[in-house]
Amino acid sequence: MSRFNTSGIGSIAILAALMGSLAIGAPSYNAEHAPPRSVFLTLPANLPEPEIEMTVSQDMSGRWQLRLDVSSFQFTTLCVSDAEAVPIGHAHVILDGVKIASAYHPIVDLGYLAPGQQRIAVILRGQDHRALLGKDGLLRQEIEITVPKRA
Amino acid sequence: MLFRPDKKAILTAAPIAFATGLAPHIAAAHEAWLLTPDEIATLASAPMPALFTSSVALGLAAAIGCAGTVAAFHIEEHVRPYEKRLAPGLKNAATYVGPVVMRVALATMLGLAGIGGLPRHGTAHWVEPTLLVPDMQLSLVPGWEWLAACQLTMAVLLLAGLLTRVIGLGLVGLSCLGLVIFGPAFAAYAPHFIAPGLIIFLVGGGKLSLDHMLGLNRHIAGLDPQGLWRLAQILVGVGFVYLAVTYKLTQPTLLIAILQHGEMPTFGLSYPLIALIMTGVEIICGTLLITGRLIRPVSLVIIGAISFLALTLGETPLFHANLYGCMILFTLIGRTWPATNEGPSAYERALV
Repeated sequence: MSRFNTSGIGSIAILAALMGSLAIGAPSYNAEHAPPRSVFLTLPANLPEPEIEMTVSQDMSGRWQLRLDVSSFQFTTLCVSDAEAVPIGHAHVILDGVKIASAYHPIVDLGYLAPGQQRIAVILRGQDHRALLGKDGLLRQEIEITVPKRA
Repeated sequence: MLFRPDKKAILTAAPIAFATGLAPHIAAAHEAWLLTPDEIATLASAPMPALFTSSVALGLAAAIGCAGTVAAFHIEEHVRPYEKRLAPGLKNAATYVGPVVMRVALATMLGLAGIGGLPRHGTAHWVEPTLLVPDMQLSLVPGWEWLAACQLTMAVLLLAGLLTRVIGLGLVGLSCLGLVIFGPAFAAYAPHFIAPGLIIFLVGGGKLSLDHMLGLNRHIAGLDPQGLWRLAQILVGVGFVYLAVTYKLTQPTLLIAILQHGEMPTFGLSYPLIALIMTGVEIICGTLLITGRLIRPVSLVIIGAISFLALTLGETPLFHANLYGCMILFTLIGRTWPATNEGPSAYERALV
């Protein structure tokens, strides 16, 4: 019956050894890894950093289109469960703080937008949906547009 | 007479069943995906809290944690007589409640995952079948989509209580397969599904099952129930320690962002300190399960903690149905499987 069971002293010894080793090891790891790896994918410093240019235009029917010119980045529809740290993936399109689309291609139809000042942001994501990080942090760009009232 | 359900046993099990099974189904999960774009942008530049980069602070926290555990052992000595008094009633309840709780909990997760009913935050319902948990989308691993149908079949069989022990072993296999398909990312989940797989193999379908009606719920000769029972506890403990180290201790800014997003009550404490306490509690609970100490109190603490988080962060308890099942069984049966050296114990006879 006592197999696999540990005495009180044994349990404390195991706990102390585990917590002690973590107390020694974790600080040095944490000091170098602030952005959580579950959410962010840091691109290697030796790769050219993607740069995002955004253009927003309205077509004849009144719908808005977003065009993304991203250097050193490849759009793909292929998603994987655990991506490598390479500049391949898609972009999240955010309108006034709310994600409205995932852009797997550089041209995105935003549809009809509400009249007034609108802030559109784009964040590059890897193939496993983690946000890409460059040398200066999030690979992100934003633009403000004024949507006129519809006639 | 010993294994007939009595009022005391039902009164003991009822609050547990109510707190877990009937907890409100709200929405969303405490996963990274629920953070808003602005929160993601803030998180990208959030500094590592000093508490998590200081060996002195972490060493002090470890010492406090160990001292608290020593104190808990002393309290255990005083509580043991009461536990001994309650144990027969709890084990009696386990005979009837245990197999049903495990079957329903696992069937719910398997079934919903198979039809995309448990998607990660931001993904529409019923479109993305997953493997056991919201993060593991089967569409990301071409060629394995058939596992959705497999999970659905397992769920139906579990609900009916047919071939329950086989399904338990199937769940163990499915969890190991998850490691092969999704790689290390699945390590966060595998132990917490292998363990309930082993438990359902151990307890079988119970009285309320087709297995019982068809006489398939027989005692398995040569089985080492105590070894399997302890192995399940160890696996659950290993899972908690792994999660605490991988996701909390070494990614505290994510945990803090999620707590802030959910506006979790702080009781006057700072978020980094709350994150550190959560990490410590998870490591201590995991280690105690591994070493086989304070199994019932630890299980109750875990039920309380995941229920509290589910309510405050607005997530569905279904995300942790596997853990609720394990913890209820651990609470009812305790550290030691009620067995004898010769043939099935009275408890095992009552199960079949």
